[in-house]
Amino acid sequence: MTDARDTDETIDRRADAPNRERVREALDDVTDPELDRSIVELEYVDAIEIDDERVTVAFTLPTAWCSPAFAWMMAVDARDGIEALPGVTETRVILRDHMHDEVINRGVNERLSFEETFPDADGGVDAVRAELDEKARIARQYDAVERLLEAGLEPAQIAALRVADVEPADETGDVAAVYLRDRALAVTVPMEPIESYLEKAEATGVVSTPDDALFRTPEGEPIDPESFDLVHRRGRLATVNMSGQGGICDGLREARQQRLAVDD
Amino acid sequence: MYQHDGEDVFVIDAHVHLWDASEENITHDGGEQFIQCFYDYHTTFTPDDRQWDMDEYRKYGQERMVEDLFGNAAADVAIFQPTYLTDFYDEGFNTTEQNAELALEYPERFVLNGTFDPRDGKEGLEYLEELHDTYDIQGVKLYTAEWRDESKGWRLDDEEAFRFLERCSDLGIENIHAHKGPTIRPLNRDAFDVKDVDDAASSFPELNFVVEHVGLPRLDDFCWIAAQETNVYGGLAVAAPFAQNRPGKFSEIVSELLWWLGEDRLLFGSDYALWNPDWLVEEVIEAELTEEHRAEYGVEWDLETKKKVMGENAAELYDIDVEEKKRQFREDEISQQFDLTDHYGEPAAADD
Repeated sequence: MTDARDTDETIDRRADAPNRERVREALDDVTDPELDRSIVELEYVDAIEIDDERVTVAFTLPTAWCSPAFAWMMAVDARDGIEALPGVTETRVILRDHMHDEVINRGVNERLSFEETFPDADGGVDAVRAELDEKARIARQYDAVERLLEAGLEPAQIAALRVADVEPADETGDVAAVYLRDRALAVTVPMEPIESYLEKAEATGVVSTPDDALFRTPEGEPIDPESFDLVHRRGRLATVNMSGQGGICDGLREARQQRLAVDD
Repeated sequence: MYQHDGEDVFVIDAHVHLWDASEENITHDGGEQFIQCFYDYHTTFTPDDRQWDMDEYRKYGQERMVEDLFGNAAADVAIFQPTYLTDFYDEGFNTTEQNAELALEYPERFVLNGTFDPRDGKEGLEYLEELHDTYDIQGVKLYTAEWRDESKGWRLDDEEAFRFLERCSDLGIENIHAHKGPTIRPLNRDAFDVKDVDDAASSFPELNFVVEHVGLPRLDDFCWIAAQETNVYGGLAVAAPFAQNRPGKFSEIVSELLWWLGEDRLLFGSDYALWNPDWLVEEVIEAELTEEHRAEYGVEWDLETKKKVMGENAAELYDIDVEEKKRQFREDEISQQFDLTDHYGEPAAADD
């Protein structure tokens, strides 16, 4: 592994060459699609190696039985994220200790599609990815709506919000102004949860224009104020599901590391 | 029976196995990976001093199972849930026939479930009938992600699966336990997806669908389906051991389940030998919901709820007369073996 000093030398050598910090930032944006948490935060990343313009990243999942589709998505996202960095000409991703590691590594690094890599699978990963993105959207909506409720907004006001009703309140972009009553009134809340929600809402296509209703039912429809509580309950449930599964994954990862340490 | 606050809680462990993952029985890499995966679950959610060695975990045998379930009276009755996996294991991993040896030796203590696999077609229907005729099964455990030759799984809402459910209905096999748990295989086709339960449950209102592992990691889909289909139940295996090392998470999951399903449609299961009821029952019964969750969800994990989830709900599904069982257990072989005859109350003659 390259340590911090090497990184500094790399920076000295050429300003736009890849360095560990940039690679890690790129990996920060790669999420475990089932948990909607960064693979860096989840400690899946084992090693980042930088050799001039070539970057190699190794990662390990909580169990060898992790869904190959999820493993594939993370490997592809890591590859694409690093490759988009300036100065990177070659990216290699190494999934370790997975039941399909060789197949996945070959497929990802040779740029095959999922279908080409797993000919016996029923098609690609797009449908699974879309479904998990939708769940992440619902969970993020819950967090954003909680902030608005805390700020004193009424359910009917939240249900009526349009995308254009949320704007940065200042130049830092950390605070959002949420406009109510035909823009007669603005409430300020932290931007982060709303921004994070919007990112997924746009990615999943449930909102696209400034006039669209900001928040949606799990099915993607605007929220009838009458059913606001139920929709919000379902959002809560999505967060409980994700963090519950996160608990299982964390535990499995710890147990596996102990077992591998003993085997060594 | 577990004693809690001076009250007896009759425990039906609704999810137990007697498996054989010995190296001689493994015929496919998947078999070894499967038991390793189980072992990871076991060590993750078992207190350090109660963890098994891998060797004993592969094949523990009947005697040990009886002691682990009933030795300290943590469980009173147990329901066998078979897992065949015959593409991975020569004699199968945990079949009805293997379970039957023990179930027939202690018929008062065990409920024996069968299985079916719609991919077996006509032969499969005959096998289902044979299980019914031989063992009078009241339930089946289904493993929709099981490999069979080229196939990597099936769905409960397949046309062929409906034929089997119809036969279950005709035969009076009312309890359909579907394993819907963590994703392990197969590839991108998500065979543990719970959505197929929805259509099956609404098409067969006379059957009860118990979603094992409450659909984790699809608790959200499961709860939403169960909220609408009143014949859908949740099996707590996998969620239960959270009580031991992630109590806040256990509180949150149980609160969600009680809010969406209520207290009448949840069944405790240890998933033995994934976890041992001799410590797990205590962890679950002594668990408490956090103040925050009680306020947020307006639900209680109180004695009445615990009695239902730990035994009464399963008794209802399997027509088990709990009071009659207690009378039997005052003198059955297992009570004698483990010196529990006093445990189940006064002899029948002095009763009432």
